Amino acid sequence: MELETRTTKSLWLRHESILLLLLVAEVLYFWAAGRRFATADNVANMVRHSVEIGLLALVMTPIILTGGIDLSVGSTLGLCAVIFGKLWRDAGFPPWIAGLCTLAIGALCGGCNALLITRLRLPPLIVTLGTFSLFRGLAEAMTEGVDAFTSFPASFLFLGTGAIGGLPTQAWILLSLALGIWLLVHRTTFGRSFRAIGFSFEGARYAGLPVQRRVAFVYVLAGIVAALAALTYTARFGTAKADAGMGYELFAITAVVLGGTSIFGGTGSVHGTLLGVAAVAVLSNGLGRLPAAMNMASELSGMLTGALLLIALAGGLLPRWLAHRRG
Amino acid sequence: MLNRNSREISVVAALLMLLGLLAVFTPHFFDPQPLLSRLTAAAPRLVLACGVALVIIARQIDISIGSLFAVCGTFAGYVAATGSPWPVSLLTAIALGALGGAFNGALVAGLRLPGIVVTLAMMVTLREALRLKQQGVFVNLPDHAQWFGLPMTTGQYLVCSIAGGLLVVLAFAMKHVAAGRFVYAVGSDAEAARLAGVRPRLTTFCVFVLMGALTGLAAVLNMVQSRQVDPNSGRGLELEAIAAAVVGGVAVSGGRGKLWGVFAGLLLLICIGPALTYAGVKPYWEKAIQGAIILIAVIADGSRKGTHH
Repeated sequence: MELETRTTKSLWLRHESILLLLLVAEVLYFWAAGRRFATADNVANMVRHSVEIGLLALVMTPIILTGGIDLSVGSTLGLCAVIFGKLWRDAGFPPWIAGLCTLAIGALCGGCNALLITRLRLPPLIVTLGTFSLFRGLAEAMTEGVDAFTSFPASFLFLGTGAIGGLPTQAWILLSLALGIWLLVHRTTFGRSFRAIGFSFEGARYAGLPVQRRVAFVYVLAGIVAALAALTYTARFGTAKADAGMGYELFAITAVVLGGTSIFGGTGSVHGTLLGVAAVAVLSNGLGRLPAAMNMASELSGMLTGALLLIALAGGLLPRWLAHRRG
Repeated sequence: MLNRNSREISVVAALLMLLGLLAVFTPHFFDPQPLLSRLTAAAPRLVLACGVALVIIARQIDISIGSLFAVCGTFAGYVAATGSPWPVSLLTAIALGALGGAFNGALVAGLRLPGIVVTLAMMVTLREALRLKQQGVFVNLPDHAQWFGLPMTTGQYLVCSIAGGLLVVLAFAMKHVAAGRFVYAVGSDAEAARLAGVRPRLTTFCVFVLMGALTGLAAVLNMVQSRQVDPNSGRGLELEAIAAAVVGGVAVSGGRGKLWGVFAGLLLLICIGPALTYAGVKPYWEKAIQGAIILIAVIADGSRKGTHH
């Protein structure tokens, strides 16, 4: 038993060190081949651009740890951005009240997923696929596909474009959330139960854990943080449109899986997810800095992220396969 | 009989009710030519919905079909543009689709990776690769490619009858051919199926390959309807196909569902659009309504499951 824990542990160490190596290789390559890659401006830029995906990946980690998945986070982001814009411009709320209401809407979106998943025992996959379409559709319907909200006050835009203590403002949000989620998942019994549920749902239930409440918690948390990401997204671009955050769910899931969290639930880590976010962020930023790839950076980074996800998934099987061989 | 098919019968009843409402309020809906055009436009979706129904019955999911649809269509368009006769472009599209499906199937059945993540990655990879290659440029088709080189009405009948024929063949095979029963067996309990001598992983692999091949066929049925191939086509098609399957009574937990139910589900979905337009709902609501329909259908199934236990 002890031997088994040690093997898995050393393998986990290996997974994260491989990821770190990949990250270093990426950075070195783009530093050598890219134009103005390793400048302070570009690093700040990279951080700004990856905060939303980072936030979504951080809350996706507990979900995947419980063996679930949330495909609707990108759509929740879009819906929350539009609702924030509507509350501010049409209802005339000051930005901070509109922001708080938006967080509540996010909680409502997450709660909708949680309700269907825990009360009706529906598979998370199909529920969030439905809400993926529903939330994005509501955002499109509310803006009639074209309406965009702009000219927010400077005090709000500071959230997306300003800097505190040399770091972009939203980086502080990301860092504090990362710390919070890390403490929750790795240092509390509450967070430990996510892995227990992902490892064995029935086992966790027989052990007396309130599994349905814990599962509901992670989906509601994802909704709230997606709303938070909607605020930083809107503040960064200065506009709120229905297509905000489209496809972000893929980047978030990729970062989590790349970070070593098993897609089947049960094992994984938050620091791994942060490394995964960094790897995805450096890839998409670096491609934009390559003279050869500059014009098609978004296509290439999307394509490579998809491919990376497949490789990470297949690579995630390696420890199991090795353990199987040894066993 | 009534009890076993109650889910399908309720869909058919809803469809008949909607058709009745349309007949009363907008009799023009049933004019032969627009109706034929509407059905022809829905034919590729029927082919995809049949495939997705099989995938879901086998307790899997495939969301890469929209992207694969665009890739197959664009490729078939290029083949047709070289002046090859239409059977060549049809066969290449089907082969290319089957190849994509085989890739998904190998990862899902061979490596036992979850279908949703594999096909999510495939969806984005294929879509972005196509965007990189085409940069949004349409493929122009030669004259002989449209409607298989037939007059328009004949071509429309041909497209509809290919899709309809496929539905009949697949529905028959799912009920009366051993391979079709294997799909149900694997979807309801893979371990029990294995003990009974079915090979669950091979079955899953074959279902994904068939899904890919059907995607290729659907892409060609879509291609022949216009003079150009849009490399952006197929966005959201996976959701439409899943919605048709789920509304038509295919259980998301696998092992249950009938293709004639899926057909009724698809008809219901394509009639909702015009019905809403006549009711004065703006087209921007389409996506939201689609999501709501998927959720309502799975909730209906979920509560039904609850009453049984």
